[in-house]
Amino acid sequence: MATFTIDEVKKTFSNGEIEEEILKGVNLKLKEGEITALVGPSGSGKSTILTIAAGLQRASGGEILFEGKDMTKMSQEEIRQIRATDFGFVFQSSHLVPFLTVEEQLQLMLDVAETKFNKKEQSKAIEEILELVDMNHRKDAYPSSLSGGERQRVAIARAIIHRPKVLFADEPTASLDTKRSKGVMELLQELTRTLNLTTLMVTHDEEMLPYADRIITMRDGYIVE
Amino acid sequence: MKIAWKEMKKSKAKFLILGSIIFLVSLLTFIISGLANGLSQDNAALIKDLPTGEFYLNKDANQTYNLSKIDEGMQKQILIDYPNATAFSVQMGFVNDAEDKQHSIAFVTSTESQLFPTVKEGEIILDSSLKEEGLEVGDVLTNNQFSGEFVVTGFVDQQKYSHAPVAFINMTNYQEIYRVMEMQAIFIPGKETPTLSALDSFSNKEFLNAIPSYSAEQMSLNMIVWFLVIISGMLFAIFFYMMNVQKIGLYGILKAIGMKTMSLFKMIWYQMMIITLISLALSIALSQVFSFVAPEGMPFHLTMETVLPLSAVFIIVGFIGATISGFQIKKIEPLQAIQQGEM
Ligand SMILES: Nc1ncnc2c1ncn2[C@@H]1O[C@H](COP(=O)(O)OP(=O)(O)O)[C@@H](O)[C@H]1O
Ligand SMILES: [Mg+2]
Repeated sequence: MATFTIDEVKKTFSNGEIEEEILKGVNLKLKEGEITALVGPSGSGKSTILTIAAGLQRASGGEILFEGKDMTKMSQEEIRQIRATDFGFVFQSSHLVPFLTVEEQLQLMLDVAETKFNKKEQSKAIEEILELVDMNHRKDAYPSSLSGGERQRVAIARAIIHRPKVLFADEPTASLDTKRSKGVMELLQELTRTLNLTTLMVTHDEEMLPYADRIITMRDGYIVE
Repeated sequence: MKIAWKEMKKSKAKFLILGSIIFLVSLLTFIISGLANGLSQDNAALIKDLPTGEFYLNKDANQTYNLSKIDEGMQKQILIDYPNATAFSVQMGFVNDAEDKQHSIAFVTSTESQLFPTVKEGEIILDSSLKEEGLEVGDVLTNNQFSGEFVVTGFVDQQKYSHAPVAFINMTNYQEIYRVMEMQAIFIPGKETPTLSALDSFSNKEFLNAIPSYSAEQMSLNMIVWFLVIISGMLFAIFFYMMNVQKIGLYGILKAIGMKTMSLFKMIWYQMMIITLISLALSIALSQVFSFVAPEGMPFHLTMETVLPLSAVFIIVGFIGATISGFQIKKIEPLQAIQQGEM
């Protein structure tokens, strides 16, 4: 079943006088429990469609249906709420909060998502997630003392601790070497299955494609399959 | 607001610097207010310590009390109509003691009243600061305009006028020294005071400001105080602005994962409150210590009545400063931060 439908989404950027159409009508259906990988040359609009779907910027045209509701018609506050509770984000760099420990990063996300956990449930949820990403032994560490791969695993933990329905990952392995990239992809695959996530991932690394359930190719603002 | 606290712990140096500047500015503010208060007490305790009421001067006096002369008939009628009213006069002058040493004083006389001590002819009651100049009860004082002698019959605390100690004398003696029959001013205590058509009326504050040097002194000191308060508000604005600029990326990410802009504001307010409260607590404590170690003769008078409202103003101004700096947070787009890609 499709939880997420992107229908004829367009995006135009205007640089002064010149209007440039970056997305020229993109159609995409994302499925639960699947990783959909977006590939294509640099500048083809992959990040743009991902961030529009994730509610981080507005489409210029088209519809984005999440659980039957059109996100393009929602207020900024409604979209924020969806981002907080239903979406998880992993970016190329981990973007952790420099002054919080691993455990505190996750606590913060639970607060932002306004989960109704009590203290005990919170620490249990954090422990479980850290177990999943194999970072329990570093839960009191600050980001500056973690390796790139460790940071990315913490970022993934942060993206799923509040049990979102959709996971957006824009080149999550771009800053890692092949071995670590594979580790992260295995993790994303496992989490997508066990937590029944709808995962949309952008990558330009061919080696990561075997982990995807579906591969969509973009070129010049179109999907070319 | 764990995140706000954690940030302060992690970047102690930055917050300590801001805290110590706020501490110093607020300490300076308290000390100057203490000085302003002390000086105003020293300048005009005689008038300041009177209850709320209305002062009346002759219309021809051009709002200057020592040019004012209240018509005797009118005064009599007013004192009958308003039993708690009092007519009084103040003039700067000198007395000489037994060793012919001159003491500068302000002669004050009044009609019978609860507000000023009652003095018999030939007697004088002095402000207690004259004890330090060696005067005692029983001493005999003279004045070259006065044919008789004054015997010191007592001392009163905190009665100063125009930076001089007050000397209360009987009306008859006063009239002889200054060769006037009329009194300068009438004071009627109370909130509901009459309008007397032939006289100009002044509130306590207006009358204080009519004392030469009083408003000049107070205005310049109070101006310094308000400048310091504004500076502290600007410090908050600038400091948080610079910190926010460094944290644009972080704020963008926090917004991207769904944090409310309001939560980011709360974070700044929380930090501002912690810094302000700690700095104020320290500077209040130290300014109280200062009032004990202040050099002898330095008029310094700082009560909680001054400190607490000023502290409240500091908090409000800090709040405004921090909030203004926060407006840029409102404008941050989460996307910008992600695309910059750091950390
Ligand atoms: N905010 C923006 N303003 C103007 N042009 C943009 C903006 N964001 C992206 N673009 C342009 O859109 C195109 C697609 O960008 P992007 O979606 O990031 O590509 P990809 O992720 O596939 O490499 C690029 O040519 C980029 O320069
Ligand atoms: Mg991209």
